[in-house]
Amino acid sequence: MASLSLRSPALKSTAIIVAALVVAFLLLGFPQFMNAMTLGAIYALIALGYTMVYGIIELINFAHGDVFMVGAFASLWILTTPLGLLDRPINDPIQLTGTLVIVVVPVMIFMGILGVVIERFAYRPLRHAPRLAPLITAIGVSFILQNIIQVLFGPSPHPTPQIFPKFDLLTIGSFNLFGLDVAGGTARGLNVTMIVVALALMGILQLFVGRTRLGRAMRSTAQDREAASLMGVDINQTIAITFFIAAALAGAGGMIYGLYFGSVQFNLGFYTGLKAFTAAVLGGIGNTVGAAVGGFVIAFIEVAAAQAGYNRWSEVAVFTVLILVLVFRPSGLFGQALGERA
Amino acid sequence: MKLARIGVLGVSAALVFAACSNSSPGSSSGAGASGGAGKVIKIGTELPMSGGETANGVPTQNGVKLAIDQANAQNLLPGWTLQLNGQDDAVNGVHDAGQGGKNMTSLVNDPMVVGEVGPFNSGVAQVEIPIANAAGLLMCSPANTNTGLTYPPDAKQYRTTNPTKISYVRLAAPDSIQGPAGADYVYNDLGAKSVYILDDTETFGVGVGDSFQAEFVKDGGQVVKRDSAPKSTTDYTPLFTAVASMHPAAVYLAGTTPTGMGLALKQGRTVSGFETIPFMGPDGVADLGDGNTQGSTINIAGQAAANVSGTVAGIHDIPDAAKFQTDYKAAFGADPGAYSAIAYACAQVIIQGIKAAVAAGTTDYAGIREAVRAGATAAGNKFDTIIGSVSFDVNGDTTSPYMSFYKTDLTLNNGVGGWTWVKQQAFTDPNASATLAP
Amino acid sequence: MTAPSLSLRGGGGPLASIGRFRTAHRSISILVTWLIIGLGLPLVVELPLLRDFQPQVVWVDGFALSGIYILLALGLNIVVGFAGLLDLGYAAFFAIGSYTFALAASPQAITHLNIPFWPMLIVGALVAALFGTLLGAPTLRLRGDYLAIVTLGFGEIVPAVFLNADTYTRGTNGIGGIPQPQLPCIGDFCVKFTFLDPFPFFWTMVIILAVVMVIIYRLQNSRLGRAWMAIREDELAAASSGINTITTKLLAFSLGASTAGFAGVFSASKLGNVDPNQFLFVVSFTVLAMVVLGGMGNSWGVVIGAFTLYTIQSVLLKELNQFFQAQHVPILQSIDFVQYQYLLYGIALVAMMLLRPEGLFPSTRRRQELHEAAGGVEVTDVPPPTTEIGDA
Repeated sequence: MASLSLRSPALKSTAIIVAALVVAFLLLGFPQFMNAMTLGAIYALIALGYTMVYGIIELINFAHGDVFMVGAFASLWILTTPLGLLDRPINDPIQLTGTLVIVVVPVMIFMGILGVVIERFAYRPLRHAPRLAPLITAIGVSFILQNIIQVLFGPSPHPTPQIFPKFDLLTIGSFNLFGLDVAGGTARGLNVTMIVVALALMGILQLFVGRTRLGRAMRSTAQDREAASLMGVDINQTIAITFFIAAALAGAGGMIYGLYFGSVQFNLGFYTGLKAFTAAVLGGIGNTVGAAVGGFVIAFIEVAAAQAGYNRWSEVAVFTVLILVLVFRPSGLFGQALGERA
Repeated sequence: MKLARIGVLGVSAALVFAACSNSSPGSSSGAGASGGAGKVIKIGTELPMSGGETANGVPTQNGVKLAIDQANAQNLLPGWTLQLNGQDDAVNGVHDAGQGGKNMTSLVNDPMVVGEVGPFNSGVAQVEIPIANAAGLLMCSPANTNTGLTYPPDAKQYRTTNPTKISYVRLAAPDSIQGPAGADYVYNDLGAKSVYILDDTETFGVGVGDSFQAEFVKDGGQVVKRDSAPKSTTDYTPLFTAVASMHPAAVYLAGTTPTGMGLALKQGRTVSGFETIPFMGPDGVADLGDGNTQGSTINIAGQAAANVSGTVAGIHDIPDAAKFQTDYKAAFGADPGAYSAIAYACAQVIIQGIKAAVAAGTTDYAGIREAVRAGATAAGNKFDTIIGSVSFDVNGDTTSPYMSFYKTDLTLNNGVGGWTWVKQQAFTDPNASATLAP
Repeated sequence: MTAPSLSLRGGGGPLASIGRFRTAHRSISILVTWLIIGLGLPLVVELPLLRDFQPQVVWVDGFALSGIYILLALGLNIVVGFAGLLDLGYAAFFAIGSYTFALAASPQAITHLNIPFWPMLIVGALVAALFGTLLGAPTLRLRGDYLAIVTLGFGEIVPAVFLNADTYTRGTNGIGGIPQPQLPCIGDFCVKFTFLDPFPFFWTMVIILAVVMVIIYRLQNSRLGRAWMAIREDELAAASSGINTITTKLLAFSLGASTAGFAGVFSASKLGNVDPNQFLFVVSFTVLAMVVLGGMGNSWGVVIGAFTLYTIQSVLLKELNQFFQAQHVPILQSIDFVQYQYLLYGIALVAMMLLRPEGLFPSTRRRQELHEAAGGVEVTDVPPPTTEIGDA
């Protein structure tokens, strides 16, 4: 059992994270803080998928960002076609929750299946091929997904029905702390709900990976595939489950994205995916907590850049972070040292 | 080698098919070719026709097609049959300058083409003007607004081969007019004395944003902030949140909806302080599409599209609007686009140029092409078109630029929403009586 | 693994002797082939069927433009095909070459230098090579996946910089008015590069391609080329054998980048303007597709792959739309083939990797590598290095 003394690394990391959040809150002001938290939740959900897949088969799944995008479109489709919802808020909380559940569950399942299918047909045959092959296949799959959606839905952005009613959850007034003006504002119910949902999903994932048999199988396969198979772990099944979970989380992220940002487009996955991947690398590829934290860090960097007027450079900033991390600290914030990986 | 053989076979087969289909690529015969036996003469179009830009290019090309069909039906050019040589500059759904250059090369090398309508995008025009200038082919753009394409001294650099020959004219009011028109409207008509400007980093957006800003400040207004957000931006909320504390009275979206302004509108409205203030945009935002048109501003922004105004760089009150609408709908089964009538007018300019050349005795293609080109900017030449009487100054700009103002109304079309016309304003062309700069 | 039909086994008439000559004097055969292409292509498109499709000048213009992509594919082939480094941001070097020339030559640029085309062809390539080294340096310690992502990042950063640094690069408007090459007249005979006459551009491109291919062939059969192959197959083993992986990789990047630099200068001059939108990720992706489909490691395969894909993309797909619409074929007429283009590329990439990863026109070595690694046939004899036909 990990000790809870002040020296314990878990407590230290938590303390650092909380301190960073407070500082960010003070510097950005409440409304931007909420923007960043919601954006971070979405990046975190996608980043988890990257990190899990890389942890288990050491492949960067280029198509993962596009799975997220397909999830966003799947939610859009469910909301508009079978449910036939209009762009009007649903005020009854029970009906609202029910609608969300009806959307998120099939989306997660469908995306999970999509993930498994992609792994089975595009990656598994190339598991022993030179590294170049599955990478190129992943790029091919990415373009296939993008174009299928483009053909089905058209290239223009699609509005998603804004079914969330506007209600304010928390209002903090502006205040002044040691001469620093901290902007106040209200936290909208939508923001808070999305963050809570995302954190809940991440928590469930942690429990799953840490406490269940399948989770243990995943961890052992990630650590040493041959030893795990010698211990009776079905490698193929474990990898398939990993892909299922990764894709399901991305699908949930897609649904949140659609509801929050109000619009989805076929090329959504590319940049969002890259930023989420940067988050995963920043947090330490292979480390799920790291990926989550990384997602929030990247979101805060972006929002801070926008606040300071440098939003034109936000992509450059994110990529620069990626390159710097990979060159100087490839293990990321939380990962173990990867050593020489020739 | 087997694969190679199959590949070669496949490519050859495709070529055979394509060759059998048309005599020259991209051409389609005018449907109203009643005369039939007349000598073929062509008008080219160079527009983005596929992918995300279909909504821009297709109605515009249809305007030209309608002009050609009606001219053939009315036998405006006895002994001649007009045909269209239509080109597409979209690559993977987005207008591409390199493809535009290729298409222009294709058009100038088709000897029967004596005039061209297009392109849609200023960035593509920059590559095409030198080619058309070298070949002496007239380009008439219904939509380009970038001032550098015609205003000296920049424009001269595109006329590399023949610096004193103008082969590019346009019927759209340039950015130097659209931006200030918007600024005056926001300041005077909307009564907002402070504004937040957001551009999309594209040529058009930055250009119109700059001229808006200059005029707004000149009017006495205050620009609280000017931001640029590239089209890859997915989250505009931090930008608006950062400005909220400065309390602008209006927002100017300097850009186009395909490059993100529709999304900016939708997300911007969710930030407190922006829910009800007026938003305004140039013709990239005022696309006049209703709520059901995929990709239109109202479609993307939904409820957020209330209280949005926009300018269109063209005339609204065309003399016979109802007839044009009926004819267009009968021919194409849809309502005309924002540039259909203007493209029709461009085609008329070319047709009238052909008529004048033939009347003067020129019957060879090369001679007609040159006559059409020279006649467009010849001093004192007026063209009687569907949008009224037009003429061009020495740089190729229209001497009677109009701006039309529109407003969104979400109660139109059974609650789907649409744009209503507010007013139009005639502007003066600053270079109307200038001489061509050396 | 038997040798293909033409081999050094002697006998067999004129074809075999050409084959033997080809092998023995590879560089000359490359030059001669390009000479034949340069003289022959304009004649081939005068054939009745092709002439009806497009006039000769339009064909030749298309060839000149396709040459740009062929050049890019040859360069990327060095990085991806020879050295096995997956570079997803190759368009960055293309952009650097183009903007270097634009800044050096256009009257619209703030630099006002007016350096002509021919020296800039070399300078542009050198500048791109320099950046190849700079951008390659951080990637040296990275594995394949990370390398790909970092290069992708550079591929995004470079056009973004050109877009946002608008005081120097005129931002989104791009830099126009870029001059065309000039050649001094020999007596009364002048070659003029104009917007209307694509032939000088076409022949310049043919010459550039011929020279570049000869250089690439020489490199491939040198110690450097073998070092690249060694890194591609097993980097650890290569390092253990005494190969300096750092310089080998950096040379791959910089030589690949210099080729893109050539292409960039040529493109800037041909189009007459540059703007950041010419260098987006789709360009890198398309060139990668050309290399993969053509056969990574085989220069002629890559040339054919690039030419075919470019022709499909710029000419055929659009014509297919027109054709099916004109013929009113029931289902096919309502399909916008242009939309499906990248879908087909994606499917082709996946299919290629699963079924024929060595590409359509592979080098035998590559085919061995990939199928052996995938658990295929064990290779019992290693073919001698430079004497086998089909190994390009």
